Order: sequence, then structure tokens, then C-alpha cells
Amino acid sequence: MEVWNLLVGNPVLNVLIALSHILGGSFGLAIIALTIIVRLITWPLTKRQLNSTKAMQEMQPKIQELQKKYGKNQQKLQQEMMKLYKEAGVNPLGCLWPMLVQFPIWIALYQAIMKALATTPENLLDLAARLYSWDIVNQAIPLNSHFLWLDLGSRGDIVLAIIVGGTMWVQQKMTQAPSLDPRQESTSRMMLLMMPIMFGLLSLSFPAGLGLYWAVSSVIGIIAQYFITGGWGYLKLRSPFGPTPVKGK
Amino acid sequence: MKQLKVFFVIVIALLPLVLVSCIGASQSAGGWSGPTVEDGIIYAGTRDGRVVAINVSTRELRWDWPDTAGLRSLIYTTPIVHGDLVYVGTYGGQVHAVTLDRGTERWVYPRTGSIGAIVGRPVVVNETIYVASSDGRVYALDTTYGDLKWKSEPLADKLWTSPTIVDDTLFVSTLDGHIYDLSLETGQLLGWSFEAEAGFTSSPAVYEDRIYVGSFDRYLYAIEMGSNASIWKFPREEPAGNWFWASPIVSEGIVYAGCLDGKLYAIGAETGERIWEFDAEDSIVSSPVLMDNLLVITDESGTVYVFDVSTEFGDEAVALKAISIGASVRSPFSARDGLVYIRGEDNSMYVVDIDKGEVVDGWPVSLATEK
Repeated sequence: MEVWNLLVGNPVLNVLIALSHILGGSFGLAIIALTIIVRLITWPLTKRQLNSTKAMQEMQPKIQELQKKYGKNQQKLQQEMMKLYKEAGVNPLGCLWPMLVQFPIWIALYQAIMKALATTPENLLDLAARLYSWDIVNQAIPLNSHFLWLDLGSRGDIVLAIIVGGTMWVQQKMTQAPSLDPRQESTSRMMLLMMPIMFGLLSLSFPAGLGLYWAVSSVIGIIAQYFITGGWGYLKLRSPFGPTPVKGK
Repeated sequence: MKQLKVFFVIVIALLPLVLVSCIGASQSAGGWSGPTVEDGIIYAGTRDGRVVAINVSTRELRWDWPDTAGLRSLIYTTPIVHGDLVYVGTYGGQVHAVTLDRGTERWVYPRTGSIGAIVGRPVVVNETIYVASSDGRVYALDTTYGDLKWKSEPLADKLWTSPTIVDDTLFVSTLDGHIYDLSLETGQLLGWSFEAEAGFTSSPAVYEDRIYVGSFDRYLYAIEMGSNASIWKFPREEPAGNWFWASPIVSEGIVYAGCLDGKLYAIGAETGERIWEFDAEDSIVSSPVLMDNLLVITDESGTVYVFDVSTEFGDEAVALKAISIGASVRSPFSARDGLVYIRGEDNSMYVVDIDKGEVVDGWPVSLATEK
């Protein structure tokens, strides 16, 4: 635990508090600024993921052909698809890394929010032991936990949960290609809903500051995806009368 | 499909880790009420939200209040004994008056609801109890019936300190780093205020028209009443190693201030010059207590240090006694008649005999609820 605090927990905590002081005492703006910093640090991974997504989108016509051809033989379909990915130099698991890299940041951020806002005297006292000797950090205490309509140290509300879930859904929807295989399509739809719902629910039970991080992070992801993959991807309104639109067709 | 499955498995696998690691950051709280000793009885708040009265001689529990778990709240304030009542402010935001002899509630303010968490010890002067609250206001209540005499306008987001009263003026420091003066009679702001670089949990100590108070910016301030600027800040060279959390005390021209950097500083009240310092083993959270010539401090690791302030120290003071009670200490403590009464973070009460240099035989006494 001490190693974690030394290497990750305390740096995130101190940077967050310093940012709050720099940004006029707004802890909410500090979280947004930290989110941007985190996204900048993980940018190489994000860019690789987006390029991979773009390549996958471009491969969709070929994938759908394979699905038509080997729809009944799942094993063969998987083999052919992997072959196709390999030829195109695409790693289908490439999109996981930015998410995995962010896990320790979420943990550190959660701890930083709880420690920085120090709602009890004990927590304020414990905070003193974790701060660097920077004037900018010590002078920022106590932090203002209010941002917009949120109390960043308290559990998120339904509005925040909807924003977190909504932005995450949009970001996923932009990259999730429809499938001709009905079973696969149904699983994809379930996954498309499950993650946003899960994070929406988490933001109801975690401090609003963490929900704010998730929402801002998704918005940044949407913007980056829009510019790198060139548009809204698969986020299109589906006509109830027509077939599922497929990019490239 | 496979990609989604792998992703799903990883997320599900990592989520518990996230949740488990988050537990370490939960908001812990237990209260750190200190003891008050009056007529051979110790009155103190416990970590499970009761006020207990313990006979010092027999170590027997005389009473505890409240006896219903649902009525309990964290207690950070040290009980005050005044007349036939014991007063205590709770973190749940109520002030209670409990009878001295039987521990039954005489009154509560507010009658219902809360005025915001009370962390700083209230002060009783002239049949009025003054309370600073986390709703940012100071309240003046009648000691007999608990009726509201006045409440100030909101001064800050939170007040976690004790009011300091000098003649007809009340001084209060705020968690956001201000000091205000209020009329003791009406609670109106008198117009003077002081702003530090950072917040205060240290209450103002007043000595010869000056206010001494420590801040989170790692300085101790000396302020002339009525002036917006400090006379001096200590240390002069560079800030201390950590916050000045506890309130300083001033005696015979010397300010004694404990710091979270583990040092006790003796500072010239007039000049702000360091007279001596002492390096304790751990952070100093509680205010020092002066007992005649003996200055007593405790550090967070639970060591009680005693100094003879009439001794001429060099730059570094030497403790007359260093007595470990073997439990962490964050609460204020009480010292009288050669004995130091301490509530440890282990929810036990310790009595230390300074002469003998040890915890008195038969103590500590557990303050936990008997099952």
C-alpha cells in the first residue's frame, strides 16, 4: 500500500489539489484538467486503438462476406477472421489497452477525491501526511467540493449517471459494427448496453468526482474518435423499415 | 465476439480489484473527544458515540449517555462541566446538556434536526454556551434551557474550531482561513477580519491584545487585534514541515505550538523568534497543556512528554519525562494535580502519573460498550 501511495496515490492526489488551486479553487475543473492530462498521457495507446478501429470499420464489408460464407461454421469463421485481421495488421484486442491502463488511474483518482475532500476531521488529518511541501498544495486546503450541481465527494445523482452512461454508449456505438449473424448481433447489442448501464450504476454509488472523470473521459474519447476515424462511425439512426445500415456498403 | 468476451472477462475480473482498492480510501471517523476531570470524575466521549462518567479512584463507570444506540453520534468535542450539567456537541449537529449526577438528558439544541457537525469544543461564559458549527455559524445558547440566544450569519463553509472569548468579543477561526470578531451580546460581526493563506483547525489563542493561531500553510501567525496584517509569521525562514493543526497556548511571553511535523516550538510572543524546539517521535495533534511549570504534550504515537519550562534550554529542549501509553493519541487531554488524563484511539482511558513516569496502576479503562 505504501509503495502504491508513493508511486501513484500521492502524486495523483497532490497534482489534483495543485490543479484545483491553479484553477481558482474549483475541484471540478481540477478533475476535468486531470482527465485531459490522463488522456494526453495515454494518447499513443488511444491513437493506436482508434487507428485499429478505423481499420476494422474499413474491413467490415470483408468481414460480412466471411460471415455470410462461414455463418454456419463458427470455428472456420473465427479462423478466417483472424487471418483477415493478421493480413491487415489489426489487433482486435488493441482497444483494451487504454481501458486497462486507466484502471489504476481510476483507483488513484477515487482515493484522491475521497482523501482530498476530507469530509471528516480524521481524513483531513490523514491528508496532511500525504501532501507534498508545495505551498500551492497546502494553501488549497480545504477544497470546495461543489461543482455545478454536484457535490463531488458525495455519491453521484441520476443526472450524472445518465450523462456517464449516455456518453459511454455514444463512444461505444461509434465503433461497434453491426453483424449479420443474429446471435453475434444480439450479444453486441447487449454489450453496448451493459457497459454504459454498469458505469451509470457505478456512478450512483461512487463519488460524483469519479463520475465526472468518466463522463469527461468519454466526451474526450468521442471527440478524438470523431476526428481520427472521420465521423460518427456506426452511430447512425436506424430506419425501422430498412435493413441495418453497414458502413462501406 | 471473442474480443467482446475477453473484454467482458477482463472488466469483470478487474472490477472487484477496483472496488477492493477503493475500500482503503473510505471516509473513516470515530471522533476524538478528550476527557474533562471534575471532582474525581472523568467525563469523556467514546468512539461509539457515548459520554461516559468514570470515577477516577474506583475506575467504575458512573453512567453513560445515551443508552440507546440509535441516538449516538460521533463526538469530537471534549465535554464541558458547568453547574449541574455536562455539555457536549456532537458530529450529528446537536448540543446536549446531560445531568452531572445521573447522565440523563436535560435539553438538546436543536430540538429536532441538526445545525451541522460540531467539531470544535464549545465554550461556556456567563450562562451562555457558544458553539461553532459546520454550517459556518456560531450559536449562543442558554445553558439552563438550551434556548437560542442568537446565531451568527454564515462565516464560512465550515467552522471546526472553538470560539475564543475576550471581554465582550468572540473570536472564531474558520476552516477556509479567516478569523472574525463577533459581538458576544448579539452575534453581529464587529467588522474586523483576518485572512491567512490557508485554513484553520487551530483556535485563536489571545494574549495581550494579540491573536496567535496556526494554519495549514505551515505558519503560525501573530495578529494584532484590529489589524488585517500579521505582526509576524513563524517560522521566519521557511515554513514548518507540516500544518499547525492544534491550537497554541501562550504563557509569560512564550507561545507553545505543536506541529504535525512532530515538533513542539517555543516562540517569543513579542518577536516571533524561536526560543527552542523539541522533536517528538510523531505528529502533535493535541494542544499542549501547562501545569504550573510543567508543559505537557502528547504525540500521535502515544508518548507523553513533560518539560520544565523554567529550565534554560538551548536551541533544543530536553524532555523531563517521556512516557509511552502504548496507544495512538489524537484527542485533547487533561492535566491536573500531577496526573495526565488521555483518551487513546484504542477507546481506552489512560491516567499517567508524571512523578512516577508511568501509567497509573489499574489503568487503562476500556470505554467500549459492555456486551
